[in-house]
Amino acid sequence: MIEIDGLTFQYDGAASPALKDISLSIEDGGFVGVIGHAGAGKTTLAGAISGIIPHSYKGDFYGSVKIDGMDTVDNRLTDISRLVGTVFQDTDSQIISSVVEDELLYGMENFGVPRGEIEERLSFALDEVGIPQLRNRTIASLSGGQRQKVAIASLIALRPKILVLDEPTGELDPGSSRQVFSLLRRLNSEYGMTIIVIEQKIMLLCEFAEKLVVMNRGEIAFSGDVRDVLLHIDELREIGVNCPRVALLSKLLSEKTGRQLPAAVNIDEAERMIKEMIA
Amino acid sequence: MTEIFQYTPGNSPLHRMNPVTKILLTICVCVAAFVTDSLIVLAALFVFDLLIGLTGGVFRKTLAVLKGLVKVSVFLFALQALLVRRGNVLFRIVTDEGLMLASKVVLRLIVVCLPLTLILAVTKISDLANAMVQVLHLPYPYAFTLTTAIRFVPQFMEEMTGIMEAQTARGVEFDTRNSIKKIGMILPLCAPLLISSIRRTTATAVAAEVRGFELRNHGSGYKKYGFGPIDLIAVLISAALIAGAVLLRNIP
Ligand SMILES: Nc1ncnc2c1ncn2[C@@H]1O[C@H](COP(=O)(O)OP(=O)(O)OP(=O)(O)O)[C@@H](O)[C@H]1O
Ligand SMILES: [Mg+2]
Repeated sequence: MIEIDGLTFQYDGAASPALKDISLSIEDGGFVGVIGHAGAGKTTLAGAISGIIPHSYKGDFYGSVKIDGMDTVDNRLTDISRLVGTVFQDTDSQIISSVVEDELLYGMENFGVPRGEIEERLSFALDEVGIPQLRNRTIASLSGGQRQKVAIASLIALRPKILVLDEPTGELDPGSSRQVFSLLRRLNSEYGMTIIVIEQKIMLLCEFAEKLVVMNRGEIAFSGDVRDVLLHIDELREIGVNCPRVALLSKLLSEKTGRQLPAAVNIDEAERMIKEMIA
Repeated sequence: MTEIFQYTPGNSPLHRMNPVTKILLTICVCVAAFVTDSLIVLAALFVFDLLIGLTGGVFRKTLAVLKGLVKVSVFLFALQALLVRRGNVLFRIVTDEGLMLASKVVLRLIVVCLPLTLILAVTKISDLANAMVQVLHLPYPYAFTLTTAIRFVPQFMEEMTGIMEAQTARGVEFDTRNSIKKIGMILPLCAPLLISSIRRTTATAVAAEVRGFELRNHGSGYKKYGFGPIDLIAVLISAALIAGAVLLRNIP
C-alpha cells in the first residue's frame, strides 16, 4: 500500500514546487495510470514513490510518502528499492551494462536472488517482453525500442511488489506498446504486482488501467476509477489531456438523451451502448 | 570512431581468458614498453600487439585504432625530431639521435595504447568490473566508476557528433582545414555536452542505486571467473615479456 500525504516537493534551484500538496493512496494490487502535460510533475511523483526523491534528487520535501508503512525519508533507498522497482523515462541512462544478459543479472545479483532461480527469472523476463533472441546482444547494437524492452525486462526479473514505469512505451510501436501493457496486466493479475504507469497514450490507459491519476502543474487534477475520471472531458481537454473518442461519444449520447451513461473506454463498450439505445 | 571502444562478441581464446589475466597481460606489455630502451624490443612488442589483435579476432579494429594512433604519432614524431639537438646532424636541425628517440617515443605510445583499447574489444565491461571485484576484491564503487567512465566515452562521442551535425545543418562549417579555427568552433559545444553528460551519469548512478548498488560485493556475481590453461599460458607470456624487456633493454 502506498500512502502519499500532503506531499510538496521543490527541486533545489527551481523557482516553484514540482509537486504541490499531493495526497494519494494506492492499494496493493492496483493498476494505476498517470497522465498529464509535459512538466506536470509525473516523473517527480514517480521519483517520490520510488524514494529517489528525496534520496538522490535533493530539494525541499514536505509531507510524507509511505510504502507498506515504511517512510521513504527515514529509510534507506536500497531498502525501499526492494519493494519498488522503477523503469525510468530515459532508457539510455537506466542501462548500466553493455550486454543484455548482464543488464538483467545486475539487479538480481545485488538483491541476492538465489542462484538456482536466476536462470529461470532471466529467461522468463526476456520471453515475456518478447526479446529472448537479444539475450547476448550488446546494448550498443540495439534500437531505442529494443533498449526500452531490455530496461523493462531487467525490472520484471526482480519481481518487485510495486512496479513504477515512466513512459515505458515512449519508443515503442503500437503493437509492442500493447504487448507491454498486456504483460503489465498479467503481472498485475497473476502476481498481484502493483502497477503504476505513466503513459501519454490515453487509449492504452483506458483499456488496461483501473484507476487514473491526472496531473496538472504539480497537482492532482483528477484521480479515481478510469470511467469516473473520463466523465470530465472538457476539463481534461483544458489541461491538455484528450479523452478517447469513445468517451466523447458516450458523453454526447448522455447529453442528447438526458440519461446518465457511464463513459465508454473502448470500442466494444461504445458499440454495446449504441445498440442498447437503438433497441 | 566510436565503435573502437566497444565490445566485439566472439569466442576467441582472448574472449575466454579471465578478465584479470587480460589486465595483467596489458599491464605487462606496458611495463615492458617502458622498461626497454631498445627499438628492436619495441618493434617486437608492436608485433605482439598485432598478434593479440589477430588472436582475438579483432584485427580490423586493431588497424582502425592504429590508424588513429598514427595520426597523433606523426605530430609527436615531428616534434621530437625537431627538438632533440644531440647526435650528428642529418638534415638542418634533424639529428640521427633525434630520429631514433622520436621513433622510440612514437612506437612506445602505440605499443601501450593498442592493448588498452583491445582489451575493451574482447572483454565485456561488466565482466571486467565483476572480475576485478570478485577476484581482486576491488571495492565495487571503484569498479563501477571505472566502467561507467569507459562506457560513456562512445556515448559522449555520439552526442558530440550529433551536436556537430545539428550545427552543420544550420550552416556551420566544421570541415575547415584550419585546425585552430576548428578548435574555436568546437570549444563552445563542450559546455552543453559536459552538462548533459553529468546529467546522464547522475541518472545512471541513480538507476544503479535503485537496483541494489550498495549491496553489491565480491560475492555477488552470478558468473564466476575461473582460471584455465589459457590463463596460465597468458601469465607465462606476460612473465616472458617482462623478463625479455629487462634482459634486452640495452640492445639498440
Ligand atoms: N532535476 C531537476 N531539477 C530542477 N527542476 C526539475 C528537475 N527535474 C524536473 N524539474 C522540473 O519539475 C517540473 C516537473 O517535472 P517532471 O519531470 O516531473 O515532469 P513530467 O510530468 O514528467 O514531464 P514529461 O512529460 O516531460 O516527462 C518541471 O517544471 C521541471 O522543469
Ligand atoms: Mg517525465
